[in-house]
Amino acid sequence: MRYRYNTTNLNGCVIRIFFPPPPYLELTLNPPEGIIAGPITEENYFEWEALITGPEGTCFEGGVFPAKLIFPSDYPLSPPKMSFTCEMFHPNIYSDGRVCISILHAPGDDPMGYESSNERWSPVQSVEKILLSVISMLAEPNDESGANVDAAKMWRENRDEFNKIAEKLVRKTLGIPTNT
Amino acid sequence: MATTTAAAAAKMTGTTAIAVSLALSGCVVANAFRQKKQFYPSVVYICKSNPSMAVMYMQALVAVYFLGKLIGKLFFGQLRAAESERLIEKAWYAVTETCLAFTIFKDDLSPKFVALFTLLLFLKCFHWLAEDRVDYMERTPVISYVFHIRIWSLLIFLTVADIYFVHDAYTTTVAKGPSVQLVFGFEYALLITLVATAAFKYILHSVDVYSDTFWESKAVLLLYLEFFIGLCKAVMYVFFLVIMVRTFTVPLFAFRPMYHTLRNFKKVFQDLVLSRRAIHNMNTLYPDATIQDLQVIENVCIICREDMTAAAAKKLPCNHIFHTSCLRSWFQRHQTCPTCRLDILRPAPITPVETERRPMHRAAQPSTTVPANTHSTADLGNRQGSSIGNRPSGSQTGSRVNNQIPQNFTFKPFNFQQQAPNNENNINNNDPNLNNGLPLHNINESLIQLMNATRLENGNGFGLPPFMNNTEQSNSNLPFNTVPPVPLNFPFVGGVAIQSPHMPPNLDALSDDELRHLEQNTRQACVDRIKFLNDIKCMLDTAAMLMNHYNSAHIISGVDDSDTFIDIVKTSKVTENNEQLETEPSNNISSDIDFNTSNSSNEGTSSSSGSDDQLLPEETEQQRVIRLKRLEKFSNSGNNST
Repeated sequence: MRYRYNTTNLNGCVIRIFFPPPPYLELTLNPPEGIIAGPITEENYFEWEALITGPEGTCFEGGVFPAKLIFPSDYPLSPPKMSFTCEMFHPNIYSDGRVCISILHAPGDDPMGYESSNERWSPVQSVEKILLSVISMLAEPNDESGANVDAAKMWRENRDEFNKIAEKLVRKTLGIPTNT
Repeated sequence: MATTTAAAAAKMTGTTAIAVSLALSGCVVANAFRQKKQFYPSVVYICKSNPSMAVMYMQALVAVYFLGKLIGKLFFGQLRAAESERLIEKAWYAVTETCLAFTIFKDDLSPKFVALFTLLLFLKCFHWLAEDRVDYMERTPVISYVFHIRIWSLLIFLTVADIYFVHDAYTTTVAKGPSVQLVFGFEYALLITLVATAAFKYILHSVDVYSDTFWESKAVLLLYLEFFIGLCKAVMYVFFLVIMVRTFTVPLFAFRPMYHTLRNFKKVFQDLVLSRRAIHNMNTLYPDATIQDLQVIENVCIICREDMTAAAAKKLPCNHIFHTSCLRSWFQRHQTCPTCRLDILRPAPITPVETERRPMHRAAQPSTTVPANTHSTADLGNRQGSSIGNRPSGSQTGSRVNNQIPQNFTFKPFNFQQQAPNNENNINNNDPNLNNGLPLHNINESLIQLMNATRLENGNGFGLPPFMNNTEQSNSNLPFNTVPPVPLNFPFVGGVAIQSPHMPPNLDALSDDELRHLEQNTRQACVDRIKFLNDIKCMLDTAAMLMNHYNSAHIISGVDDSDTFIDIVKTSKVTENNEQLETEPSNNISSDIDFNTSNSSNEGTSSSSGSDDQLLPEETEQQRVIRLKRLEKFSNSGNNST
């Protein structure tokens, strides 16, 4: 990676300092609305934490969803992995929180077999774009993806029930006790 | 009892598992001693009783598990979450595959067999962890001495273990014939490749860590390493499959990893070939970015978001600019433009297959081709002016026409204009000298001169189209006599411009490059095509100028029979549009094609056509009908195309 230089500490160990990757600066200087993101610790810029607010006018409105971004060592040549650390119920989010959207998939690897290559990862994408895509994914789920088949089915056939579950999740992330 | 213990042990974690298994085995041992009182009878009793044996097995399993954990702690310290996740996932596959393997070797099923499989599983786990740990080196900020010592000792330990077990399996198989040891030998051989990968990666990463600069060729080395390891694995799997099928049965349990290995190998191989090609393309074909280019994009490489210098940046065919090193590492994965996803292997021709016969500067850079062409066209215009200006008659008009000739003629009107006189001339072929004393021969000569000039201009890289050669050879008095009657469309041009290759006897034997060359997809062919189009354009310009000159010569010589022509047009019921097309060359002269104005332009064309009419006063009715039909036909084709 380019974002690093080597130095030696008192014990003679090599310490590599990773510069904050510029997307980080971009994000902290002018963060897009509804996104807070940054590395979890100062020494490891490859693990980020993000807080994503549910887009307005959707069933996730008002929620603040924590997520984790793991960058590969060859970022930006390979896409980072993103997973929500809170409970989520969404057609494009696996039950363990992993996010399944095309921008996070390298061209040529298509777990669900429906994505066109021009929405795939490329090194010109940034963390900001990923998070914005995730927000738009929250607003408009793609029910063709089968990351969470139950959620996809419910989204298609029983929207009211889906909205109810989403509302419950929103309340949970905010720490408000649910009514039911 | 055993099943409940197993279930409990699986669910409970850490100390509870140990406690439960210890308590159970304690109970079993105590029970045996209580019944048999002495050591040997108790041991025999435990061995004979199935439930007791099950408990003892569980105890052993738990003990091995925690021993493994302890050794793991020694070598790896605290496992990271991602590592243990991967480990559990892989171990799960390994266990299921082992169960499948049990089906083949159910005769061999014995405690020793189970123990060996457990050991194999643990060693596998260590291999995976070592791999992960080495990969983690790239990302961790602090690499301590302990880390190096651990990795070294681990790699040595694993290598020794693998080699020992492979050797063991080999000797057993040679001594006792094929048995389950075959599978063990194969598995350990695979593990050796894993250790080798990890060791090489470790060395590469270490060198990278202790070098202060960014090591560019590391990625290439890693790709090669992956390729060779993949090759080894693929060969091993094929051997294993063959041996297993011949001695036992189809090894179902090996299919999943085999499929993965082969697929990975294919991908690595493709990556290697394509990336080599892409990087070669980048180094040879794509120009370095200029300072102006860099200013447009604010000097920032969008891959690494660092500043670029002109020397270290490359411009792709789609005009996107990146660091050469960034592009190189991206091309190792995907051969597309990072921004627009243009497949850089598809549209861009590979290295020129033919030896260059043309001056190098033309072929060197694709971006300079177009300006060069326009330049040569402009040059040619000047030459036309000079050559025609030298003519004794009508030199004034000649220069005037030359000045006004637009450089960019549209194609279609020209065909029409070329062909209208062509047909007239065909009819008048019998008596060319009736052309009112106009020095047509001179015009023709100048045309040939121009063509020669054109050819010189193009370095004689490829021949002019045959019909043009004919014009020269026949030395006809009428310049447009041999122009083909069909409109010149692109495929035709392409067909003439590039010599069609001989059909090779065996298409399968050709390499990709040769096929691409056959397709005329190469750079050379493209350059030829563009040049040929340029030649056509030049010839068309010449033709237009000559036509105009011809017209003006008529005006000067005072022949004006426009009435007759208009009469013909009226009788043939040619549409208004048709007439406009007829008048187009004059419009072109003003370099502003306007289909709706036909004021002054009528004059020129009508005089030319009209003069032909006048020249043949004794035109028979039959000829007249033919001419009308032709006029109509052309007007139709003109309408269709506009």
